[in-house]
Amino acid sequence: MANITYDEAAHLLRRMGFGGSPDEIDDLAAKGREGAVDFLLNYEQIDNRFLDDIMRSSFNFSNPFDFPRFNRGELQRWWFTRMTFTRRQFEEKMTLFWHNHFATSASKTGDLLIYNQNLTLRSHALDQFDNLLLTVAQDPAMLLWLDGVTNVRGKPNENFARELQELFTMGITDVVTGEPNYIEQDVKEIARAFTGWKFFHPRNDPNPFNYQFIVIDSEHDNTVKTIYAGTPWAQAGNLDGADVIGIICARRATARYLVKKLFDFFVYPLSETTTDRTTIERFADVYISRNHSIKELVRAIFTSDEFFSQRARFALVKSPVEFILGPIRMLGARYNPGTSAREGASNNTLAAVSIFLGQDLFNPPDVAGWKLNLGWINTSTLLNRFTYADLLAISRTRDLNAPGLWLSHEQLRSFAKKNAKKTLKKLLSVLGPLELDGEMISALRNYLESDDQGNKVGFVIDDLTLDKKVRGLIHLIMCLSESQLN
Amino acid sequence: MPVTRRQFIKRSAGLVTVGMVVPRIWLSEARAEQVAFTPTQKLVVIQLAGGNDGFNTVVPYTDSRYYSLRPTLSFKESELKTTDGSSTLISNQFGLHPSLKEMKDFYDAGKVAIVLGVGYPQPNLSHFLSMDIWHTADLGGVGKGWLGRYADLALIGRPGLTSASIGSLDLPKTFSAEKFVVPNIISFSLYNFIADPNYPGDYNNQINVINFAASRMMPAGSVIASVNSSAFESLRGAQQVQTSVSRYTSSIVYPANNPLASGLQMVAQLMATVPEASLLYVQVNGFDNHSDQIGDRQNDRANKGIGDHATLLRWFSEAIKLFHDDLVEHGLADQVLMLQWSEFGRRPGENASFGTDHGTAAPLFVIGNPVRGGLYGEQPSMAAGDLDPAGNVKFKVDFREVYATILDHWLGADSRLVLGAQYPNVGFL
Repeated sequence: MANITYDEAAHLLRRMGFGGSPDEIDDLAAKGREGAVDFLLNYEQIDNRFLDDIMRSSFNFSNPFDFPRFNRGELQRWWFTRMTFTRRQFEEKMTLFWHNHFATSASKTGDLLIYNQNLTLRSHALDQFDNLLLTVAQDPAMLLWLDGVTNVRGKPNENFARELQELFTMGITDVVTGEPNYIEQDVKEIARAFTGWKFFHPRNDPNPFNYQFIVIDSEHDNTVKTIYAGTPWAQAGNLDGADVIGIICARRATARYLVKKLFDFFVYPLSETTTDRTTIERFADVYISRNHSIKELVRAIFTSDEFFSQRARFALVKSPVEFILGPIRMLGARYNPGTSAREGASNNTLAAVSIFLGQDLFNPPDVAGWKLNLGWINTSTLLNRFTYADLLAISRTRDLNAPGLWLSHEQLRSFAKKNAKKTLKKLLSVLGPLELDGEMISALRNYLESDDQGNKVGFVIDDLTLDKKVRGLIHLIMCLSESQLN
Repeated sequence: MPVTRRQFIKRSAGLVTVGMVVPRIWLSEARAEQVAFTPTQKLVVIQLAGGNDGFNTVVPYTDSRYYSLRPTLSFKESELKTTDGSSTLISNQFGLHPSLKEMKDFYDAGKVAIVLGVGYPQPNLSHFLSMDIWHTADLGGVGKGWLGRYADLALIGRPGLTSASIGSLDLPKTFSAEKFVVPNIISFSLYNFIADPNYPGDYNNQINVINFAASRMMPAGSVIASVNSSAFESLRGAQQVQTSVSRYTSSIVYPANNPLASGLQMVAQLMATVPEASLLYVQVNGFDNHSDQIGDRQNDRANKGIGDHATLLRWFSEAIKLFHDDLVEHGLADQVLMLQWSEFGRRPGENASFGTDHGTAAPLFVIGNPVRGGLYGEQPSMAAGDLDPAGNVKFKVDFREVYATILDHWLGADSRLVLGAQYPNVGFL
């Protein structure tokens, strides 16, 4: 199989993960398009003991009622630590996609149930979609979040039935044809199908995390539900929630909607042009012909010409998580996540930054998730991105056993080349690779070669230059609008 | 014959009548005509998010339906007085919530216009959709924000920090614009471009590079062009904020436990130190009082003088008073108009949880020295036959009439260009 270029491999790794070092990108490029996607997709085959060791020594989640060790801040630190160190980057990225898709907030579910949901999303991330959806629907966090637990026979609550169709599967209207996918009556009928869905913790079960799903027969509506009447998808009968999920997942509208959500997150925002509708249809066919397998659908997307097209390159805006983690991996910055016992929430550098950049993990703004792309950008979130860039760029080597983030002097030396032009070229490559116009390149080069008065004094690699100018350059590159894109 | 842009606008202008919405494409054409902008006429928008209960804000104390629909939550005429015992009645029909002590004084001084029954046709009871409708002044809730459209017309190319949303990490949709970038400032100390403190001498080099980067022309309509415009505005605003706001001094003490007061203090700080700052926005949350709207769950369940709504309205009243005093101290009180809004009112009938559910029309406050004080609009009927199937009242004044009044008679704009139709003048200016 033919190699892909370095830039293509970097693009693939930024999208399927958070980015990587030049060596990682070289390795990926050598695998070719299918091979590289295969490698990232079959993540269960990647040795991740490195991460497991860190997680074991950094967290103690054995008791959810031990507040100093198990709380929201710790959960955020836990996920950031996973995303920072995992070698299975796509596993975390896909979990992040599903966290946004099935956007659930710990503000309503509490920390224990949102943690369980996150484990569910991760273990089913590439499952058959029907299976993922059913598992999420029966997971306690969702039952609480969208009021499933108060949805009982005779007093149906429509919250889940509505979002199931509007946000989790089809959308209000078909993303290709524009036709309405359901009517209010369908919401009412489907709400009845999900009545009596509850969860409980088995008495005497020693594992405090072990909640189980149950249908309370006396609260479940066993009468006939008629859904999508008068359409090709019409069904009537004593349907229950699992039946409804099966029916919805088999509709082409669901295939199309999922393709659109995946494109908006991983490839480029789709428009309503004929070209883009054709694209949606082609990938909807994959979903249908591969028995709704998410893994096969995303494999088709990531190996496609659309994904490797010019249009896709830097077509998305980096989410806060991507903006924070990308440069850490690309530059090979060090991160010590600390331990809960040692300093508690004060270790939580990355999660705290993410909140100020607009992404408070486990607490999306509402059930529709975060507003992606330009939704991340306003003057405050941008200035906060610049401040993070500074924080990372000037984090100097200190006590390696203390929690925190740092970019060592030795690491900087590996980027420094014999002159300003080559040093700049190297860092633009590592932090992207970014393509800049000639004037911008000159401005950055001048920066490297100027003294405090702005006089051109040349560029000599010594400790001072590394510590002042190379760190300054990393800060500046990360502040460029080009660096906000993915 | 080809139609020129100017002819196109002239022709389409003749077609605009009340209630008819101009297609968006015409509006963007019309943006070619910049409107006058007078930075001495300033507007502060105050959003009470969650749906403020209008019936307990401006209490219709002579309406027997109010009492029959709200056996627990209603204020009797005798209860309409502040903690120091002074009456909050403002007419022979209405009294203000007892928490609105300062607002009552302002009303008596002719500084408050209360527009009754403000809403819109086919009310939407979803917080998000109804907020979008108010933000965009579009009944589908789509398109740019109404003040964003105004900013595109009036503020493009003006020097300095002419507008800002204060205290939130999101930019309210009211300010979403085609071209203009309205800054949002969560705190003044964070609103800064920071570089390595170890090398202060390098700061200017860095700021020069980044200013250059943000001034570059990017392909029109591209994602990077939007990001770069925001970057430009971020840097420009940060510089101005850092050099200006520290000059603010005031004798007014804003209480730290009142979030609206904290926001309005930042607004005062900006207005007092940045002369061109004219369009400001603050938001206070918590008005979605489905339960515990009154009383204290533990001890004093049915006490209407305390509870979530009483606290929120006390914050509102107290914050406005302090802000106004601050404006007076800085000689700005005649230049500032305050507009309060909420995405909907609440249902006239109370629920079983000492609260109220999502409603429709509600009174709206326009406050400040420039206002012609008094009651405007009309109180919606609570009679059983006049309520909609959800038990909500019918609106009397379209909120876009309030916007139009402010655009035409305060902000120097032609409201038709901003709102896409002509609306009657409510008359409070």
